[in-house]
Amino acid sequence: MSQTAPKPRKLRAKPFQLADRIFFGVSTTAAYSAIVIIFLILFFLMQRAFPAFEEQGIIPFITGAGWDTSTEPWIMHIGPQLYGTLLIAAMATAIAIPMAISVAYFIVFLAPKRLAAAAVILIDLLAAIPSVVIGLWGLMIFGPVAVEWAAILNESLGFIPIFAHDSGTFANSPFIASVVLGIMIVPIIASVTREIFSQMDQEIIKASLALGGNQESTLRRVILPTSAGGIVGGVLLALGRAMGETVAIYFVLNLVYDKFNWMQILEPEGGNIASLILSKFGEASDRELAALMAAGVVLFVVTLIVNALASYIVVKAQPWRKF
Amino acid sequence: MTVAAVSRPKTAEPWKAFSGRVKLAIALSSVLPAAFALVYMFLSASPFIVVLFTVFLPLQIIAASITAYLAHGRRGILDGLLVVVTIFLSVFVLVMLLSVVWSVIQIGSQAISPHFFYQNNKYVGPTTDLSYGGLGHSIVGTLLVVAFTTIITVPLGITTAVYITETEGKSRGLIRTLLQAMSGLPSVVAGLFIYSMLIASGFTSYAGYAGSLALVPLMLPTVSRVTEESLRLVPRELRNGALALGAPAWRAFFMVTLPAAKSGVITAILLGIARVIGETAPLLLTIFSNNGTNWNPFSGGMSSLPTYLFLNLSFGTDGSVARAWGAALTILIVVGIIFTAARVVSAPKKAKVKRK
Repeated sequence: MSQTAPKPRKLRAKPFQLADRIFFGVSTTAAYSAIVIIFLILFFLMQRAFPAFEEQGIIPFITGAGWDTSTEPWIMHIGPQLYGTLLIAAMATAIAIPMAISVAYFIVFLAPKRLAAAAVILIDLLAAIPSVVIGLWGLMIFGPVAVEWAAILNESLGFIPIFAHDSGTFANSPFIASVVLGIMIVPIIASVTREIFSQMDQEIIKASLALGGNQESTLRRVILPTSAGGIVGGVLLALGRAMGETVAIYFVLNLVYDKFNWMQILEPEGGNIASLILSKFGEASDRELAALMAAGVVLFVVTLIVNALASYIVVKAQPWRKF
Repeated sequence: MTVAAVSRPKTAEPWKAFSGRVKLAIALSSVLPAAFALVYMFLSASPFIVVLFTVFLPLQIIAASITAYLAHGRRGILDGLLVVVTIFLSVFVLVMLLSVVWSVIQIGSQAISPHFFYQNNKYVGPTTDLSYGGLGHSIVGTLLVVAFTTIITVPLGITTAVYITETEGKSRGLIRTLLQAMSGLPSVVAGLFIYSMLIASGFTSYAGYAGSLALVPLMLPTVSRVTEESLRLVPRELRNGALALGAPAWRAFFMVTLPAAKSGVITAILLGIARVIGETAPLLLTIFSNNGTNWNPFSGGMSSLPTYLFLNLSFGTDGSVARAWGAALTILIVVGIIFTAARVVSAPKKAKVKRK
């Protein structure tokens, strides 16, 4: 006599008690607080920033150059700062990506188990070094070393326009700022990449090796393509972090307001919105403060776009994750 | 049907032990490039970084590739390159990061003395000798501000995670996405937000609790994401078992799910604290600074460890920079303690054996 086993029912807790209703109500309310916080941030910043947008005009404010509050009409434009923010963050990420992938590859595929476990702890710990400490190190210890590096780069590769240099000093350049920032975000990218590498299906790696691939071709044609989405997500996460970074850059970058420094990364002329806010905030009048708020709004919107992109890519790359 | 015999290259026998020639090549290739680079550096007096990248790295790649060719044949050449480049870059970045930690420990320890931890900054200027004054007031400020942030954020973060994992709510995806977006919120913007909401509107002047509120959006994503991960790890069967025994959902959560995920939740709290304890910019905009000890988080400016570091570094005199290093060491010690605690808590427990 055959009997079919009953299918497992899907159990679902329905709020049938008052206490349950309260429990679910409280958790729903708390969850919606995330929406409220984002809304409040946008609302209050926009409210304070509105006069500046109105006075300067949105497009000139974002794309124009110059910050002069000594003569009427005031000029408060953040074009160079916005460009500098994007440039430095992009260079920092470009520096950090190969290092972070190397670290992750080393930990997951090369290192002996004990060493790998220690390295994982170390990377997690280094990711938690506060940015103000990185800024202190960048100013006092790394700065002088990086100045020498920049001088060497200029001597040997100065014929390339990027490394051209004609002002006296190599200090406080976008180059130094992006190296400091790059070192700061390596642990972030490395820990995401390590996570993705260690969750990879070992079968396809073994299959690739069995088919005659060597380690290099396995990395290039199997491991990297499979984990590309996750790595890109991690990189964008770090990019968002790099764009919003304030103090680490504040100490190692010289801000210029009146012109764009398009690509001479060794000149001591750079831009950064967060540093602009921090440096002007102290003695700002209400009218100037509105412009700083507007700069904050622009920064927030840019990082929001990058982050939305990042979470979209991460979700697409990890289809096994369910909501 | 006959299967054609596949001719296997002689070298493709990974189970075979390396011959003496290959072992010698391995030994030579791990020593010679470094030795040659060192000699070259002393003879030509070139800067270390130049020698490292233009002499040592190419030589090491060539040596490793030759060795790999001897050991594995042609398919080994690129492996040699890969191994050398990954290890080189890993070591390079680790040296940089450890240089941060090492310089903080080495220089910071010179500024530290017992009174550095309990005295405050009153009557201390940028040029005052290190034997007076300290950051006691900043430790008090950091503790108060971060404690207040934790009190607000932890219940909020945990209940948000509960909403995402335990309920069937419709906007779980939206909430997750928003938390993701919030985790990328620039810290200076968080400071501007609270400044515009509370301080510029005249509701309050600089105060500790304004700083705490500014840290909330920075801490919330960390707490709720890590809590969510740990709640997700609790097996479905445990919850279903509790529900099948007749427990209402809230008791099932508080008596079964939460205890099972306890260590993960504590880790989430500790990681959240580690995330905000070094935040500088939002605190500069909201709690300002104070040279004396302020125990009241509801009125008056406060000092905190990161802002103390920042302001002292901005003065730029020898004495104040030394104080900044001392503050950096203090922050690193605090972060280190938090991380050790998190690891101890989240370490897998050994099953207790009950003896009768």
